[in-house]
Amino acid sequence: MPNQLKKSLWTVLATAACVVSWPLAAQDRPDWSGVWAMIGGTIFDADTKTGEGGSTTPGVREHPPYNAEWEAKYLANLAQRDAGTFPDPNSFCGIPTGFPRIFNLPDVYEFAVTDKQVWIITENGPNIMRIYTDGRAHPPAEDMWPTHTGDSVGHWEGDTLVFDTLSLHSSESGNTILDRTGLILSDAAHSVTRMRINDNGQMEVQMTIDDARAFTAPWVVTKRFRHLEEGSRVYDYACNENNRNPIDPNTGWTYTTDTEGNIIDRNPGQ
Amino acid sequence: MKRLMIVLAAGLVLSSLPVVAHHSNAMFDQDRVIEMSGTVKEFQFTNPHTWLQVVVTDAAGRETEWSLEWGSPNNLGRQGIRPSTFPPGSALKVRTYPMKDGSPGGLFIGAMFNDGKTVGNWE
Repeated sequence: MPNQLKKSLWTVLATAACVVSWPLAAQDRPDWSGVWAMIGGTIFDADTKTGEGGSTTPGVREHPPYNAEWEAKYLANLAQRDAGTFPDPNSFCGIPTGFPRIFNLPDVYEFAVTDKQVWIITENGPNIMRIYTDGRAHPPAEDMWPTHTGDSVGHWEGDTLVFDTLSLHSSESGNTILDRTGLILSDAAHSVTRMRINDNGQMEVQMTIDDARAFTAPWVVTKRFRHLEEGSRVYDYACNENNRNPIDPNTGWTYTTDTEGNIIDRNPGQ
Repeated sequence: MKRLMIVLAAGLVLSSLPVVAHHSNAMFDQDRVIEMSGTVKEFQFTNPHTWLQVVVTDAAGRETEWSLEWGSPNNLGRQGIRPSTFPPGSALKVRTYPMKDGSPGGLFIGAMFNDGKTVGNWE
C-alpha cells in the first residue's frame, strides 16, 4: 500500500475513533470523579421561567415549545400545582425519577466513567442511569419498551460525552414529570445530550429534546453542576425510612403525621 | 416552661428558605413565622426529612408536641448537622413556618439554645 494511501487511511480511522462509539482506554477517560451538586433550584428550564419563586410557587412556569394540546395539559398541571395537589411521583417514594429529570434533582451526584459505560448516580432517589459507550446501537424498535431512563447509547468527542436517549415513558402514564410545575413529555421524546466539564470547572449537561407529539420545535435545556470540596461523602437516601408526609391518593394533598403516624393536619381545600 | 409564641415578619427569614425537596410545601404558611420556647423531645435524623420534636407548654400548663420538618439528613450532614445537634431535654427557642391549618407542625427555620448557640437560620 502506498504511503500516501496508508496515511489517508489512518487519518480516516483516527477521525472515526473520535466521533463514533469506541471503548475508552483508562488513560483517555476524563476525570469526572468526586461529588457534584446541581446549581440553582429544581426548575427544569430556568432560561424560560416566568414568575417569581420556585417550582411550587403559584404563577411560576416554564415555556417549552409545546403544541396547543400539550400546552393545555401543562396548564392543567399548573392549576393543580397552584392548589398544592399536583401528584409528583417522587413524593410517593416508589418509582425512579427517570430521564431527563435525573438531571434536575436536589442532593448530590456522582458521574462514573468506565471504559464501556457512563453511570449517572444520584443520591436522591437513589437513581442510576446507564449510558453505553461500547459501540452498541439502540435495540430494534420491536425490542424496546418505555422505561424511566429509556435507552442511552453514546460516544466520546474528546472530553465531551454525546449520547442519544429514547424509549421513555410518557408523562400521560403519571410516571414521568420534569419538575414540580408539572412539566411533561410524551413517549415520543428523544434527546441528544452533551456532557462535559466547562471552562469554569462545572459539569455542563446540554439536552436537545425533541418530541414529535408534544413540541413544535426542539427544546434545548442546559443544567450545570458544581464540584463539592474533596472528601465530600454521599449518603443513603431511603425515602420510606421515615416518610411522615403521606399523599392523599384521591386529592393529591400532602399530609403531615406525628411520630406515631397519625395525620395531624387537614386539607384546606376540603 | 411557659409558652412563648411570637409572630414575626416573614421577610426576616425569607432570605434563606429551608429546603424540603421530597414533597410540596403547600401545607406551610411561608408568609408567617412563629417563634416558640420549648424543650427538645427528639431529633429524628432520618430520610427523607429530619424532624425536630419540641414540647411547648402554654399558660394553662397544657403541653403540645410540635413536629418541625427540616431538610434531608444527607444535605444537613454535609453542612455539619448531626443526630446529636438537638439533645433531648434541651431548652430552646425555635422559629418555624407554621402549618396553614394551625395544627402543631411547621417547616423548621432555626433555633437558639439558652446558651446562645444557634442552629439553622437565626438572624
